[in-house]
Amino acid sequence: MDNRLLEMPNFRPNKQPIKKTVKEIIYHIVGIVLSLLFIMPIMYMLATSTKSESAYAESVGTLNMFLPDFANLGVAFDNYTSVLVNYDIWKYALNSFLYAGIVIVLNILVNGLAGYVMAKLTFPGKRLLSFMIIFLIVVPVETSIIPLYSIVKIMLGLKQEMSVVGVILPATISIFNIFLFMQFFQNIPKEYEEAARIDGASTMDVFFKVILPLSKPILATVAVFCFIGVWNDYLWPSMILPAADDGSWPLLPIQTALMSIKSIESITTGEIMASLVITSIPIFVIYVCAQKYIVQGFGTSGLKM
Amino acid sequence: MTTTSLIILGLFLLAFVGFVVYDIVTAKKRKEVYRVKSTATAYLMLLPAVILAFLFILLPILYSLGYAFTDYYLLLPDDIGFVFLDNFAEIFQEISAKGMLYNAIKNTFTFVIGVVPLQIGMALLLALFVNRNNVGSKIFKVCFFAPVVISLSVTSFLWEQILAPGEGGLLNSLLGMFGVAPHDWLRDPNTAMPCIIVLSAWQGCGYQMLIFLSGLSNIRKDLYEAAALDGANWWHRFWNVTWVGLRSTFVYVLITVFIGACRIMTQPMLMTGYMSHTVTLSYYMYNTGYTERLVGESSAVALLMTIFIGGVTLLQRRLFREK
Repeated sequence: MDNRLLEMPNFRPNKQPIKKTVKEIIYHIVGIVLSLLFIMPIMYMLATSTKSESAYAESVGTLNMFLPDFANLGVAFDNYTSVLVNYDIWKYALNSFLYAGIVIVLNILVNGLAGYVMAKLTFPGKRLLSFMIIFLIVVPVETSIIPLYSIVKIMLGLKQEMSVVGVILPATISIFNIFLFMQFFQNIPKEYEEAARIDGASTMDVFFKVILPLSKPILATVAVFCFIGVWNDYLWPSMILPAADDGSWPLLPIQTALMSIKSIESITTGEIMASLVITSIPIFVIYVCAQKYIVQGFGTSGLKM
Repeated sequence: MTTTSLIILGLFLLAFVGFVVYDIVTAKKRKEVYRVKSTATAYLMLLPAVILAFLFILLPILYSLGYAFTDYYLLLPDDIGFVFLDNFAEIFQEISAKGMLYNAIKNTFTFVIGVVPLQIGMALLLALFVNRNNVGSKIFKVCFFAPVVISLSVTSFLWEQILAPGEGGLLNSLLGMFGVAPHDWLRDPNTAMPCIIVLSAWQGCGYQMLIFLSGLSNIRKDLYEAAALDGANWWHRFWNVTWVGLRSTFVYVLITVFIGACRIMTQPMLMTGYMSHTVTLSYYMYNTGYTERLVGESSAVALLMTIFIGGVTLLQRRLFREK
C-alpha cells in the first residue's frame, strides 16, 4: 500500500506526455500524408526524367512511377544531355540568364533612382508624380498587353535583332518597385546623407555611395523578384521574339522555348520531364538561397495596401 | 499612331508644366523651398523612369482605353476608324448568343469561384498546420512550398502529362488501381475546369501559406496566453486572436489571389488550347487581339475586365476594412 501511494505522484505527470506523444504522432502522420500529396507530381517529374520511353511505359500503373529507374540510371544522363545539347536548352537557359541579369541591373537603376528622388528630394511637380504612382499601382496593367505589343512593334520597326530590346525594356520599369524603394529610402536617416554632403558629395554620389550600400536588403528583394519574373515569363517573349529556325543562335528564353521543345515529334516523355526539371532548377536555387529576401518582400510591401 | 502618341505626350507635358507652375506659385503657402539645382538633379534622375513608364505603362493603358472605341486591326495601325460603341454592342451580342465570349466569362467565373476559396483556405490551413517550431513542420513547410518553385508553364506541361487521357496518364493509372475507368480529364467539359482549379491551387497556395505565416509571426504570443487564462477554447482563440491578427494579411491575400485568378490564361492556353470549355477572359482577349488581330474588340473586353476587377477589389477592401 505504501508503494502505491509513492507511485501516485509519478502517475499523473506521466499521463500528459503520453497524450502529447499521441498528438505529435498524429500530427506527423497527417503532415507526411499531406506532404506526399503535394510533392507527388514533382516526384513523378523527377522520376520520369530518369527513364527511357520503354521504362516509363513499364512503370505506368505501378508505384515505380514515383521512383527513378535505379537499374538504369545512365538513361537519366542521356535524357539530360540530349535536351541540353541536342535541343539547345543550354542556349535558351543562357538567354534567360542574360535577360534576367540585364533587367535586374536596369530595373534597380531606373526604379531606385526614381524611388530615391521621390523619397528624399523636394521639387515642383512631386505631388503630381506621387499621385501618378499610386494611380498606376492600382490600375491593373496586365489587360493592356495588346496595345503594349503594338507600341513596341512600331518602336522597334521590323528589325528582328532589335526584338531583344523589346523583351528587356518593358521589364525594366516597375511602378511597384519604385514604391518599394521609396518606402525603404524614406526610413534611412537623413544624417547619412548630410554627412556625405558636408564632404562635398553630389546627389548622384550620395545615391550610389551612401544610399545604395545601405539598401542591400531591398536590392536583394527587388533582384530576386525581377529574376523570378523574367525567368518565368513566357507569353511576352513569345509575342515579341522570332522563333529561330535557321540554325543561328536562338533568341527565345527558356520558358518560351519549352513550348516548341515539347512539340518536337521524336522527343520522349523522359526528355520532356528532364527539360522541365532543368527549367525549374534556377528558381529552386533562388528560393533556397534567398528565402529571407522573399519573405522580406511581402513583409515590407504588400501588407500596407 | 506615332502622331497620337506625340499628342498624348504633349498633353502630358502640358499638364505636368501646369502642375509645376502651380507648385511654384503655392510654394510659399506650403512652406516649401525649391532650389533650381536640386530640381534639375531630381528631374534628371527621374527621366529614365518617367520615359519608360510613359511608353510602357501609361501609353498602353490610354491606348487600350481608346482602342476600345475603334476598329483597329493589328496589321493596319495607320487605318484606325472610330466606331463609338460598336465593339461593346458586339460584345453583348456575343454574350447573348452564347458564343466564345460567353464561355470565356463563364469559365473565368467558375475558376475564380473555385480557386479563390480553395487556394486561400488551403494556404491558411497549411500555415496554421506548420506554424510551430520542430523539425517535422519545417520539412512539411518545404514540401507544401515546393510547387511554387515550378513556374506556371512548367506546371501546365507537367499536369498535362499527369491528366493525359487513356491508361498512360498518371491520374488515370492511379485510379486504375482502384478499378476506375480512364477518363479524358481535359477534354471533358465537366472535369476540365475543376482540374485546372485544383492544379492552380496546388501550385499557388504555398506562396500564400508563407504570407500567412509571416502574418502569424506578427501576432503577439501573450495574447494567446491571456486568452488561455480566460479559458478560451481552440475556436475562440482562433476567432478572437488569430483571425483578428491575420485580418490585414487576409485582405491582402484575398485581393492578390482574386486579381491573379481573374487573369488566368497560362493553364488553359498551354494545356488545352483555344477550346470553348476552357477558354478564359484573358485568353479570349489575347486571342482576339493578337491571333485574330482585332485589337478594337479585344480592348473593349479589356476595358470591361479592368472595370470589373477594379470594382470588386474596391468592394473587397471596403467589406474587410479594419473596424
